[in-house]
Amino acid sequence: MNESNIKGEDIVERLDRFDELPDAPPRKRIKLSWVGKLAALVVAAWLVIVAIGPSIAPFHQMDFAGDDGFLPGDGEFLLGTDYLGRDTFSRILWGARTTIGISLLSTLGAYLIGITLGIAAAVRGGWTDTIISRINDAILSLPTIMLGLIAIAAFGSSIPILIIMAAVIYATSVFRIARALALDIMVQDFVESARARGEGTWWIVTREILPNAAMPLATDFGLRLVFVVLFISSLSFLGLGVQPPTADWGSMVRENLQGLPYGSYASIWPAVAIGSFTIAINLIVDDVSAESGGSLARKMV
Amino acid sequence: MSKRVDPKFNPALTSYNDLSQKDKELVEDAIRTGYSRRSVLKLLAATGVTLATAQNLLSTGGSAMAATPKKGGSLIMSSNLHGPDDQLDPALFTSTIDYTRGRATYNSLTQLGNDLAPQPELATEFLPNDDASEWTFKIRQGVKFHDGSTLTADDVVYSMRRHQGEASKSVIKSIMATVKEWKKTGEYEVKAILESPNADLPVLLGLFQSKIIKVDSDGGGNGTGPFKMDSFEPGVKSVHSRNADYWREGANLDAIEITAITDPVARVNALLSGDVQLATQIDPKAIRQVESTDGVSLSSIPAGLYMGICALKNASPGENDDFVKGLQYIQDRERIVSKILKGHGTVGNDQPIMSAHGADFCSELPQREYDPDKAKFHFKKAGISSAELYAAPVVAGVVDACLLAQANCAKIGFDLQVKRVPTDGYWGAVWMKEPLNTVTWNMRPTANSQLAIQFAPGAAWNDTFWNNDRMGELLKTSLSELDPAKRHAMYCEMQTLVHENSGMVIPAHVNILDGINDKVKGMPTVPLGQLGGCEWPEFAWLDA
Amino acid sequence: MMMKMVLRRILIGIGTLWVVSVLVFIGTSILPGDVAQIILGQSATPETLAALRAELGMDRPWFVRYFDWLGNLVTGDLGTSKAGGASISSLIAGRLGNTMFLAGIVAAISIPISVALGLLAAMYPGTWLDRIVTFATLSLISVPEFFIATFMVLILAVQLHWLPAIAYLSGNESGWQLARALAMPVITLVIVVSAQMIRMTRAGILNVMNSPYIEMAILKGVPRRRIILRHALFNAIGPIVNVIALNLAYLVSGVVIVETIFAYPGLAKLMIDGVQTRDLPLVQACAIIFCATYVVLILIADIASILSNPRLRQPK
Repeated sequence: MNESNIKGEDIVERLDRFDELPDAPPRKRIKLSWVGKLAALVVAAWLVIVAIGPSIAPFHQMDFAGDDGFLPGDGEFLLGTDYLGRDTFSRILWGARTTIGISLLSTLGAYLIGITLGIAAAVRGGWTDTIISRINDAILSLPTIMLGLIAIAAFGSSIPILIIMAAVIYATSVFRIARALALDIMVQDFVESARARGEGTWWIVTREILPNAAMPLATDFGLRLVFVVLFISSLSFLGLGVQPPTADWGSMVRENLQGLPYGSYASIWPAVAIGSFTIAINLIVDDVSAESGGSLARKMV
Repeated sequence: MSKRVDPKFNPALTSYNDLSQKDKELVEDAIRTGYSRRSVLKLLAATGVTLATAQNLLSTGGSAMAATPKKGGSLIMSSNLHGPDDQLDPALFTSTIDYTRGRATYNSLTQLGNDLAPQPELATEFLPNDDASEWTFKIRQGVKFHDGSTLTADDVVYSMRRHQGEASKSVIKSIMATVKEWKKTGEYEVKAILESPNADLPVLLGLFQSKIIKVDSDGGGNGTGPFKMDSFEPGVKSVHSRNADYWREGANLDAIEITAITDPVARVNALLSGDVQLATQIDPKAIRQVESTDGVSLSSIPAGLYMGICALKNASPGENDDFVKGLQYIQDRERIVSKILKGHGTVGNDQPIMSAHGADFCSELPQREYDPDKAKFHFKKAGISSAELYAAPVVAGVVDACLLAQANCAKIGFDLQVKRVPTDGYWGAVWMKEPLNTVTWNMRPTANSQLAIQFAPGAAWNDTFWNNDRMGELLKTSLSELDPAKRHAMYCEMQTLVHENSGMVIPAHVNILDGINDKVKGMPTVPLGQLGGCEWPEFAWLDA
Repeated sequence: MMMKMVLRRILIGIGTLWVVSVLVFIGTSILPGDVAQIILGQSATPETLAALRAELGMDRPWFVRYFDWLGNLVTGDLGTSKAGGASISSLIAGRLGNTMFLAGIVAAISIPISVALGLLAAMYPGTWLDRIVTFATLSLISVPEFFIATFMVLILAVQLHWLPAIAYLSGNESGWQLARALAMPVITLVIVVSAQMIRMTRAGILNVMNSPYIEMAILKGVPRRRIILRHALFNAIGPIVNVIALNLAYLVSGVVIVETIFAYPGLAKLMIDGVQTRDLPLVQACAIIFCATYVVLILIADIASILSNPRLRQPK
């Protein structure tokens, strides 16, 4: 900025503003737009299905209920049957628990690991930072699908293994973001002044770094969730991933792809399910970030 | 079934040329799409055509089609798997793409025809002594390797000895152990001295790995075969051009490219869009798509290839005969064949021999049916209520068949947990190790070799660890039994033993399924592997 | 000062490469089966396994093999493939070119589009324009890429015969044939990588909008376009360039599904094949290439963010 352009009153105002600036941004009540509300409704609906899906599904996920594969939808099989003659509708209801469960738990795990280590590395610095960062970079530089392949070949493909594996793999990206944000925040004036006041590291981490890093991290959360869903489904591409007969949306898309030429929707419905859930999560995230950044942007000429 | 011969066509007609155009096409389709001679004969016989008429129809139809191979053109074949482990060393061939490259590049001493009988190839004659304990091979003269050198007995002896001895890494080392010594007895004569009499030696010499390479080499793409290798990139492709100096008439095509598309969906799409002309291992899910697309056909060859579950007899729960019986009765074989394999398979009877093996098949052995009540009874008697089955997609439909068994087990209160594992590393880490695992075996040329490889007591690949002395005795004595009735009785006894006691569950035999562009003609139908036992490079031609 | 920092980072990068080689060594040795078992497959017997292992030099202890490999690497020798016996540099050379070519085309298309769309969305947050961009990008990435790719193949190749179903290169096609062969893989990958870049551009800029100096510029009445392009974008370069770098690294190492579906011989598939055949030297070589690419890209990204943020120029 060209300082000479700033007039006297601006400087006064600017100083006033600095005085008003709290250590952390004020907690705003999150207000959702109607799109956000709709998205929240979709997410809530899926969460209900996670809870009760299997008990309201007409068939068991492993039940070869239909006489043939790729049957079109009718009264008995609302969305038709999959390639083995299992009920697609029931499998989507069952699959909600697997897909949403795995992706939410993995993403939360990734955030827990990534933020903890990221902030620790930023705050401690020195060898701690060097060692964690090098291992993190090493893992991050390797293709996720290859890491998944190795982990599954070595430890088998159970749902807990998938969750832990996805959490560790995606923690590396979160670590980078968290560490960079923490480093950025630590050189900010308000942290310097807090240090000058003699506040402890824990205070700075919880009162300064975490609240200030929350928003950018949250923006990333929605995408990270999508990546985990896609990662699990790309494992099914290699014949790994969620064990059959457990229904999982990504695997359902994959195993029924060959139905497309026959006009079967058996691979499209689970794709719609994945889309509706992940898009809804991201729309909520967007609303939140638009709320914080947009208030200012709206003032622009 | 893909393209049935119309059962309504007039049985009074006796020759292919008398048929209407439509019926000609039907017969052509049946022949081209790879119905084995035997199965079409059966089909025709079942519709009321006399056997003689059917024979005549087929031979006249077959020769009318085979009459005019055209020269020239090139094509691309896509296999299902390839990688950095693609080999040019015949002793290490284990995959369709290796077999096909080997068939294009090298020759064997003998060649197995569509009927699996050994024909002369680089050996012009192969003669046993009186008790088949020694075989003498006359080597074809004037055969040149691609590098210009001449084939002699030295090359043959060198190639064969690579399958023997302590330092041998050959895939067929244990099969070739039947030969004690290979000896050069003349510039163009080789003698094999056997451990024990074996009338089937010429058959073994037609195996994918029994190729003849240049002395002191490890193959390296320098063979005597119908195509020269222009380039070879492991895991990408190889390009081959017609060998103009071939020792017989040789290939019809000018050039072939051999590659693999590992994704089954993409492989079918590449076939349908015309980007490749031959595609192996059509996924059963895509069968209808291939059948309904103009310009491509499904080749479905009934073969001894099977899907199976090994229950190890030396471990729990397979050591319990009732558990194995329960697992056998819970197999819904009809549904596996009709719905999972879309009709492109044959119901299995828990033993590996089937009609494609010819007279040695024991058709009088009662078929084991899907019977949940009996399964429940046997599981209960065994006192076992749950088991863990390791399943890898080693052959089309096997994992789905396991899921079907799991669903049916759940209905009778048995908890069959299917643990799906990757195929890579499977043969080393799971097969013959986990108490319950999936397995597949390719068809072997003879019933004896098919049974011996897996069920001979102490055999290297006795994958259920079922060691039965009577079985071992029958395997040996049946080889020298000449009376057809006695021989059949022996084979029946062996099949019954396997069916009852071996711990093998064989719900279905899987047809060899390939996709073929309609412009490609002259495809062989050898049931030992994909695309006519990988024998196509020398015989296929393009009808432009 | 910048030179010193770059040198330091290169040393750190070499450290990272070493960590990768150790991780890969450990990772592949905990896998069931070894390369000899994979080669012999179902036909393996204890005797043939022993013979093959001896021939491949795998009967030596692990540390001898590791340091042997490391020693060769230092002299620039990547070794030979255990699985097939070909030299690793010959296996890699063509594929590295293919990978870089595809990644280059995708980057050239996706980066300008993504940054432009992200800027546009950030300029009008919460408006219909923003929502449409957001919704479209989200819809496209929330579908697995194999679904998008296969769907396109079914329509454009199998039904309409406009494009080839596979990117099968013979090495001497014309520019037009090349463009046709690569069209579908490129579209698929542009869709895959653009979404994250668009979203991070948007988020990065909105985040900067919260800063006091932007607020001041707004209060001063600086026009919206100038604020965004001159001030906000410049200050948001750090995170944006970082995301671009990560996506470029992904294009080099992570596009195994696209390579598989379109039978395009690239490095990502080679590495997966290497893992599946337990071909350790091959996996190591790919890992080293991927890690080096990553280190260089991140270094460039970090230099860009340091240049754009004066506060980071003096690290404590």
